[in-house]
This record gives sequence, C-alpha cells and structure tokens, in this order.
Amino acid sequence: MSAVLRADGLSKRFGGLKAVDNVSLTLDEGRILGLIGPNGAGKSTCFSMLAGSTSPTAGRVFLGDREITGLPAFRAARGGVVRTHQIVRPFANLTIFENAVVAAVQCSGLDHAGARALARETLEFAGLAARRNEYPAGLTLAGRKRLEMARALACAPKVLLLDEVIAGVNPAEAQEMVTLILRIRDERKVSIIMTEHVMAAVMRLCERVVVLDAGKLIAAGEPKEIVQNPEVIAAYLGKKHA
Amino acid sequence: MKLPLPPWVRPRALIALLATCAALALGPLLHSDVYIHNLLTLTFIGIAAALAWNWLGGYLGQVSFGHAAMFGLGGFVAAKAEISMGMPMVFAWCFGGVIAGLYALVWGHPTLRLRGPYFSIATIGVGEATRLVGTYWDWLTGGSSGTSLPMHPNLKFTLYWYALALAAVAMAASYALRRSSLGLALLAIKSDVDAASDVGVSSTRLQDLVLFLSGAMIGVCGASYGSYFSYIEPGDMFGFDRSISWVLMGVIGGIGTIAGPALGAIIFVLLRQYLIASYPQLYLGLYGILLVLVILFEPLGLTGLSLRVLRRARPDLIVSGSET
Amino acid sequence: MDRFAELVIASVLLAGLYATMAYGLGLIYGVLRIVNLNHGGMIMAGAYAGWYLHSEYGIDPYLSLLPVAAVSFLLGIAMYRGLVHRLPRGAAGGVQSLLLLFGVWLVMRNVAYLLFTGNDQTLRTSYSTRAAVLAGALVSVNRVAVFAVALATLIILHILLTRTYLGKAIRAVAQNPDSCTLVGIRVERIYALTFGLGTALAAIAGLLGATLFPFNPSFGAGELLKSFVVVVLGGLGSVAGTAIAALILAAVEVFAILFIPAYLTAAVGFVLLVLVLVLRPGGLFGQRVLG
Repeated sequence: MSAVLRADGLSKRFGGLKAVDNVSLTLDEGRILGLIGPNGAGKSTCFSMLAGSTSPTAGRVFLGDREITGLPAFRAARGGVVRTHQIVRPFANLTIFENAVVAAVQCSGLDHAGARALARETLEFAGLAARRNEYPAGLTLAGRKRLEMARALACAPKVLLLDEVIAGVNPAEAQEMVTLILRIRDERKVSIIMTEHVMAAVMRLCERVVVLDAGKLIAAGEPKEIVQNPEVIAAYLGKKHA
Repeated sequence: MKLPLPPWVRPRALIALLATCAALALGPLLHSDVYIHNLLTLTFIGIAAALAWNWLGGYLGQVSFGHAAMFGLGGFVAAKAEISMGMPMVFAWCFGGVIAGLYALVWGHPTLRLRGPYFSIATIGVGEATRLVGTYWDWLTGGSSGTSLPMHPNLKFTLYWYALALAAVAMAASYALRRSSLGLALLAIKSDVDAASDVGVSSTRLQDLVLFLSGAMIGVCGASYGSYFSYIEPGDMFGFDRSISWVLMGVIGGIGTIAGPALGAIIFVLLRQYLIASYPQLYLGLYGILLVLVILFEPLGLTGLSLRVLRRARPDLIVSGSET
Repeated sequence: MDRFAELVIASVLLAGLYATMAYGLGLIYGVLRIVNLNHGGMIMAGAYAGWYLHSEYGIDPYLSLLPVAAVSFLLGIAMYRGLVHRLPRGAAGGVQSLLLLFGVWLVMRNVAYLLFTGNDQTLRTSYSTRAAVLAGALVSVNRVAVFAVALATLIILHILLTRTYLGKAIRAVAQNPDSCTLVGIRVERIYALTFGLGTALAAIAGLLGATLFPFNPSFGAGELLKSFVVVVLGGLGSVAGTAIAALILAAVEVFAILFIPAYLTAAVGFVLLVLVLVLRPGGLFGQRVLG
C-alpha cells in the first residue's frame, strides 16, 4: 500500500499562537483517514495547509513523490488535492451545473465538451442531476453540502479533504452522505481525509483516525482503539473522565 | 462549409455582430450628414470604453472610479509616440494601450486584493493622483496647455471605421470573456475568490489578465479619442468626470451583462449631446437621478428592464461580489 | 521664527478638521457597513450653508453651526429612510449603496451649481485674517477656532457614544445587529439616527472648512478621500485612533511641502490612501468596531 498524501512535521504559528504544532500524517491510497479533535484543535488550519490555501510555518507536504508544500490553492487543486468547506461556499451566481463546470474546466485538463461531460456525470453521481439548472440558493443545507462535494469531485482529485460534511444535516441525509462518501472512495478511487464531529460516521467510514488537541497530534490508530484512548477522552471531556 | 468556431460561440450572436458591423460600416456611404457621422465615431469609442470598464466592474464586480488614468495615459503615450517617434497611428494606439494596461497592473495587482467598496475607494485615489501627476508632467502631456497631434487630411472622417472596428473588437472580447470557460471562472471569482481558488481557478492571474485587458482597451480608446480631437489636455483626459461616465454607462446599460454597457454608452452619448445643447447646467444632476433610479428599481439597468419585459429571470447577473 | 514649530502647529490645527470630517464617514461605515460616497456632497452643502447664512443674513459661521448640524441631521435621516434603507445590506448591497449615494452626490453638486453657480466662493469674516502668536509661531485665530470647535465636537461625540443609552445602542448595533433585535433595540431606527449623525458631522466639517478654504460645487471630493485615509489609518470608532490618523495625514501633507513641489502635495493624500489600503488589507477599516 502506497502513501498518496503525506505531511511531515506541519506547524503553523499565528503570532505567538501555535495553531498546529509538528503534525505528521499519512494517507494511504484508497483509504479514508479521520482527523478529529475538539473545536479549536487546529483541524481546519491543518486542512488549509494540506490544500495550499495557507502555507505552513514549518514542515512539508507530499502528494505521492511530489512536494506540494506552500503551493497556491489553485495549483494544489489542479495537482489533485481538493478541499471542501465546513461552511459551504457555493458560487451563488452560477447554476449548479456551472458550479461543477468551473471546477472541471480548471482542474481536469479536459476541453470544453469533456469538462462539461465530466461535470454532468459528477452531478449525476452526487444525485444533483435533476436540479442542475437551478441556482444553489434553492438547495437545502444537505443539498448544498452535496454540491460542495460534487464541485470538488469535478476537479477529478486524487485526494479529497472533506471538512465536516455530515454535521448539521438530519439523520436520513447523514446516512445518504455516508453512502456517498463510501462510493467516492470505491467507485471514484479517491482517497479521503475527513474532519467530523459526528463520531458514528467516523466509526463507520474511517480505517484510521488521528486526533488533534491544541494543535498537537495526541493519538493515531483504528477508530475502536481511539475511542478507548484515555488521552483522547480527556481532550474531549476533561481529565476527570479519563 | 462549417466554420471552426469554439463551442461556446452562438452562431446567432456572431451573425448579429457581423451584420450590425457591416450595416454601420456601409452606413456613411448612404448618408452625408457629417454631424451624425462624427457623433457615431464618438459613440463607438464610448462603447468600447464602457465595455472595457465592464470587464472589471461587471464581470469581476470591482467597480473602478479611476479608469480615466489609463484613458489619459494611453492617449498621451500614443500622442508622444506619434509625434516624437513618428510611429504610425494604429501602432501608436496599440503602444499606448499596452502602456496603459501595464500601468493598470502596477496599481491594480496589489489593489485587487481589496474587494467591493474598498477597491472602488482605492481607484478614486489612483485616478486623482494620476490626474495630478499627469497635469504637471510636461514632457509627456504638455502640462496644462496640452498636446496637439499631427493633423491628417480626412483623418477625422476615416476614424469612423477605426472606431467601429474598436467597438467590434471590444464587443467580441466581451462575448468571449463571458461565454468561454473563462467567463465562468470570472463569475466564480466575483462570487467567492477563495472558493474559486480551491477548485483550481487561478484567481490572481485571471484578475490581472482582466485588469490588463480592461486598462489596455481603455488606453486604446484614449488614443483614438486623441486622434479624433487632434488636441488633448490632461485635465480633460484624466478627469474624474470621465471615470464617472463609464460607471454611469455600465450601470445604466446593465452592469455585468455582455452588451448592456454598449447600450448604456449609446444612451449616454446621445443624452449628453442633447442635454449639453439644451440644458448644459442640468446634465450632471440628471445622471445622478438616473443612477439613483436604476439602483433602486432595476439593478441590471436597461438590460434588466428588457429581460423583465421578456420575463426571464437571471439571478446569475444580480449577485454581486463578496466582501472579505 | 521656528519653521518647524510652525509646521507642527499647522499640522495639529488641520488635524482637528480632518478628524471631524473622517469621523462621520467612519461612524456610518462602522454601524451600517455602508460607504457614504455622499459624504463629499454633505461637506459641500455645509460649506454653502455657512457661506449663505453669512453673506445673506450676516450670521457668524460659528453661530450657524448648530442649526446647520440640526438640519443636516434631519436630512441624513430622510436620505436613509428614503433611499439607503431600500437596498440590501451586506455583501450584495455594498457596491449598490456606493453607487446610489454617488448618484445623490451628483444631484447635490448640480443643485449647488444651479443655486450658486460654479464659481469659487470664500467665507470671509472680520477675524478671517487676524493672527496671534502661539508658542513662538504666528497662527491664524480662525484656524485655532476651527480646531477648538472640532475638538469640542469630537469630545461631545465621544461622550454621546460611551455614556448615553443611544450611544451604547449604536455601538451594540455596530457589533451585532441581530442580537440587538433580540434585546429590543430598534435597529432600523439606530441606523437612521447614525446616518443622520454622520451626515451632520460632514456638514459641520464642511462649514468649518469653508472658513479656511475657497469652495465650489465640487468641494468635498478631496475631503472625502482624506476622510477615507483617516478612517482606514485610524480604524473605526475610536476617537483617539481617528485623532492620531488625522494628525498623521495632516503632518504628511504639511511637511510634504518641504520635499516635493507644492502642486504635487495634493497627490500625497491619494497615494497615502492607496498605500494604506493595500498594505493593511486585513485591518482595513479596522477590525475593531466602535470603542
């Protein structure tokens, strides 16, 4: 099994604050890696550094053998690392289809017709095909989260970084979302790193989980081990529960 | 025979553009009214400038109040090139345009990180600073006494076709910038510049490209304007009122639409000719009232009005840029 | 006489006017998130109001300050209720309100032109040319008076914003309008009052400016830009920040005379504006909101 994305000693300081402190992680091809931790643990900063929108103070990021540390976001995306946002950011002035087309045109290297075909096919995959000519404002939150994922998928990524795509939707929709994520891995052959607060989803989806607390990596392993880990419990619930 | 057209070109649009141009190009052969002939020449220059302004103001949602800086620079550089270096007119225009485009990049590249109102405010500063420097830079502009260009017999008459070509190029560019895949990327940037980068749009480079094109086209317009009047003066070329006029054309015609600003330019030029003749002291206020009415009741201007008449909703045009 | 001391005093006196001018713009932006492009129009209107009352009825400009401020306050409220209020707020409304208020400015310029022609006017009083010696430098009495009024205005404003219920409500709305609705503050009313307050400040600044500089219907454009520089430099709402920023701008302008040709000094403010905007893109109008 080969590593598709690898981060070595990533750190990010904002002034005196160490938002992320010496975090290393490896994503194996065809796997889903969970990145969890309490609010403010540095998950989003970690994502930003992996996806290129923030350059790390120290440490390196590799996509396969290629170093992508500090590349601008659009280069990382074209290279195959694409992120979604916890608070969805659809292009409100474009139709759902056009949202996907922008991504496909910019990242896939296909021509006009090819990119449109990819976008159409991606929307079908994500279950949005019927509404492709509508504007994102008409979608429910779950729908917009789906669009956020579809748009990222239209980039034809090797690695998808999903930032809390399940939190906030109702249980039935969450179930569908879990299915969709599994299909992205299996049918699209995309490796995934996801942050998530819904632990049930993490348990079902992730083969491995790494836990951040206060910017530091405090545990890594299988989900079942992680939830037993005293340090992890302490991080979430406080010392006396550990 | 099938023309090798890019897939985003609607044949109907191409035919419409070609037919309009052909009709306008042949028009002067059918009438001999010099007043109308010259008014059309100025209208064409206005159309090209308004469209160029709209690439930045409409497509990217970055409203510039300082485009006269490039208009003036293009005009004076072209004049200088023609007079001192003996450059042929059209080359001088292009040279002026390139310099103007580069100047737009110099101030615009750092400034474009600002979004919405902040960018607009910065452009006021840029425009006014350029005007002041231009007014006192004798070597380039001739100072407050201005610059006279060489007069060619019949030039003013033939400029009609040059100006028409300019407007046609601007129109085609407007269409291409909007309808090609680039257009979607620009709309994405307008909506959310960071999210656009996250899906592979090279936001900075595209914004710079649009800025350069917009500045260069406005510069060429300034150069052609200079050739038309054969005398230019910095207070007029760099004037704030000039920058405002493109804002008005864009807003009246329909900001962010493909052809709206051209419509706005036509209305603007005609209105000005009529108003200056009849009510020279009222035209500024009337533009103000027009601006207020359009913003309050029809943010997409005349284009929005006609779409409304045709009962077609276009939310893609209404949403304006995000703030950071 | 010490040239340096003279320039320092000139900077300080000018800064008073700049601070008043800028505070109105910053207040409206801070609370409504709207850039009031008509700020320049109100500065111009204030100048003409003071000049008209003086030349027609012989009223001293300092006596007409209060009535002019009061009328402008009401005018500002009317403008808010009639126009600005109708636009969407936030991201979509940003550019729209900018253009709308710009249209209002054009109309006001045209009205001034129709009423008073485009000629330069000056407001001359019996004490316009009187001077006194201050710290070894010769200083115009009127400039000192302008400074004193500006200072008093800012102090009153500061007290209003920090000590009164209305002021606290304004600051609360600036922070979070939604929460204000929940605790029963009538947000729309606060918006209208704030817009009126900012408008009145612009008129006061214009009236004060008229006693110093000649003016015409385009008066206010340069002042608008200077207000931007101060707001951007000083952050929002803090009187001290505004005062320091105004002092920086005034000093840069005054001292620029020593280094660059006089005709280019006006460009200094514009260049400063662009530099500040570009170099402080994050802290633009300051993250700090009022106080």
